[in-house]
Amino acid sequence: MNIENTKAQMKKGVLEFCILSILSKTEHYPSEIIEKMKEAKLIVVEGTLYPLLTRLKNDGLLSYRWEESTSGPPRKYYKLTPVGEQFLKELNITWNELVEAVNKTTQN
Amino acid sequence: MNRTITMNLSGIIFHIEEDAYDKLNKYLAAIRGYFSNSESKDEIMTDIESRIAEMLQSKVSQTKQAVLMADVESVIAVMGKPEDFAEENSQGNNNESPRAETQYQYSGKRRRVFRDPDEKILGGVCSGIANYFDFDPIYLRGAFAVSFFVFGTGFLLYIILWMIIPEAKTTAEKLEMRGEKVDINNIGKAVSEEFDDLKKRVNNWEQKVNTNENKERVKSSAQRVGGFITDVFENLFKVFGKIFSILLIMVGVALLVGLLATLFGSGTISAFSAPGDTIRFSLYEFTDVILPESLSPQLIVIGLILFLGIPLSSMIYSGIKYLFGFKGQNKIVKYTANVLWLLGLGIMIYIGIEIGNDFAEHATTKQNITITQPQGQIMYLDLKPNTEEDFEDKHNYRRKIHLGDWYILSKDDQRFRLAYPSFTVVASDNNNFELVAVKSAEGFDKKEAAYRAKNIEYSVTQIDSTILFNSYYDIQAADKLRGQELKLILKVPLNKVIFLSKRMEKIIYDIDNVNDTYDGDMINRRWIMTTRGLECLDCQGLENVTKHDTIIIPAAPTVPALPK
Repeated sequence: MNIENTKAQMKKGVLEFCILSILSKTEHYPSEIIEKMKEAKLIVVEGTLYPLLTRLKNDGLLSYRWEESTSGPPRKYYKLTPVGEQFLKELNITWNELVEAVNKTTQN
Repeated sequence: MNRTITMNLSGIIFHIEEDAYDKLNKYLAAIRGYFSNSESKDEIMTDIESRIAEMLQSKVSQTKQAVLMADVESVIAVMGKPEDFAEENSQGNNNESPRAETQYQYSGKRRRVFRDPDEKILGGVCSGIANYFDFDPIYLRGAFAVSFFVFGTGFLLYIILWMIIPEAKTTAEKLEMRGEKVDINNIGKAVSEEFDDLKKRVNNWEQKVNTNENKERVKSSAQRVGGFITDVFENLFKVFGKIFSILLIMVGVALLVGLLATLFGSGTISAFSAPGDTIRFSLYEFTDVILPESLSPQLIVIGLILFLGIPLSSMIYSGIKYLFGFKGQNKIVKYTANVLWLLGLGIMIYIGIEIGNDFAEHATTKQNITITQPQGQIMYLDLKPNTEEDFEDKHNYRRKIHLGDWYILSKDDQRFRLAYPSFTVVASDNNNFELVAVKSAEGFDKKEAAYRAKNIEYSVTQIDSTILFNSYYDIQAADKLRGQELKLILKVPLNKVIFLSKRMEKIIYDIDNVNDTYDGDMINRRWIMTTRGLECLDCQGLENVTKHDTIIIPAAPTVPALPK
């Protein structure tokens, strides 16, 4: 059993949850999302994020709009759709339950 | 100092050093390859490219205008290698539709053809192919072993395969060699996937055109249209290319087998000719008849193998290469093949010149063939009936070349028999029927040509008033086939009559006559020599024939019974 692998698996499980949470407050473009997640040491490389965002968008949880940028190509600003908000609510509940359950189990 | 390249990334122009460009290009290709089976591959790629463009933009300034290797490396470090986000992606896909996941597995484990170094007897070609199609290599080995003896076809094919199929050297390659099973279903799947991909692009593109979103990005939409068109063509070419490469291999193999069979076999080739008209052709027979003594038949065999075999082999080579997507070229093989082909060309030109030299001069000799005068006024002309059969079955047909109306028959090893002589009729300048054989041939010089012409042997048989012509003439084998021709001229005295039998149709050639009748219509009729020329005596039934009945001939002749 590879400890790094297990750690990575645990982190990845909550990635989508975190992305949705970040976008729940205000809209962001990928670099900003990456900044926040790097701070939290949730992801290491940016390449990870793009397929995830595309998939969440295709699943109807996210939508985006284009905005011109002064320092490069136009940027995609992502925000939650109503479906995404509902989805996030449910994830929040599950997360809280999970944290509680895990805490209970590990502290005993 | 380094050269820079201008690069357009997400609509932004960069000056980038060559090596840095290569690195970036490979990196993007790797990512694209990684997402190649994802439905939103294009979108992900666009996102990643614009992010890279943004990062590179921040690394250049007025004073530092070019993108350097270090910049690309740092971008790659931030973005991560495809392997780094590989796990991420498969994790993500667990939640997604199961189809996408199987697709990733599919692409990851897709089987490729390698030569198997662990189970080889010669080069591991058979075991490699057997691995690919999942069967016991022993069958393929057996088939190859047998085909080694079919004019060496198998041997050549084996060598070609040996050259183009790479050996499985690394563990990864050995795994790929045994990857997901390839069968008809899978091949069909792969092709239909390519079509699906194409269809999807068309749909995506239409959607993109229909949404306003596109208008905000006029600049990049132009790129997309361009990209779409290249993609469509790439895909079309891929699909048709595969079909074409299969055709290329099949045609190449068929022609190669044909060539080798012609060179080493002695069979019958039925091609380029009307049904029933077989070209019985053995190259050795043919070279025997054509090649000068000074050249050995082996030379033409070598020449033909090099001159025709190499292009055919390379046809098969490139077909297989494209079909299985092998990359790279073996320069030594290519170079050697070119040199050998030129050598073959040289040999063929040399042979051509040598043969051509023998056709430099033309000579004609005339010989009178003694005939006795007929009892009455009529001379009956007929073709010896059984001589035709001589060409069909009486002789071993291995020593016969039959091209439509043109026969070459090797009677024995000393002589060749050719068909047909041509026959015509002129007026005689005395009161006798005379038969003249005009023999002609080609040669290196006049003397040689005349010698060959004299060597043409021909004879007729006469029974009372009937002359039986042989339908063939013989030439000396040592003389070779050098345009030997035989023209028979029958001189008919004034007011004498000839009768042309049905069989004479084979040899009569352009007989001048007052009635302007075609050769084919002249048979089975009587013809009289008048001062104006040959006139028909019983052509009443024929159209466009003028009748001349100035001379009365007793009772219409009947065809005499012919000797067997």
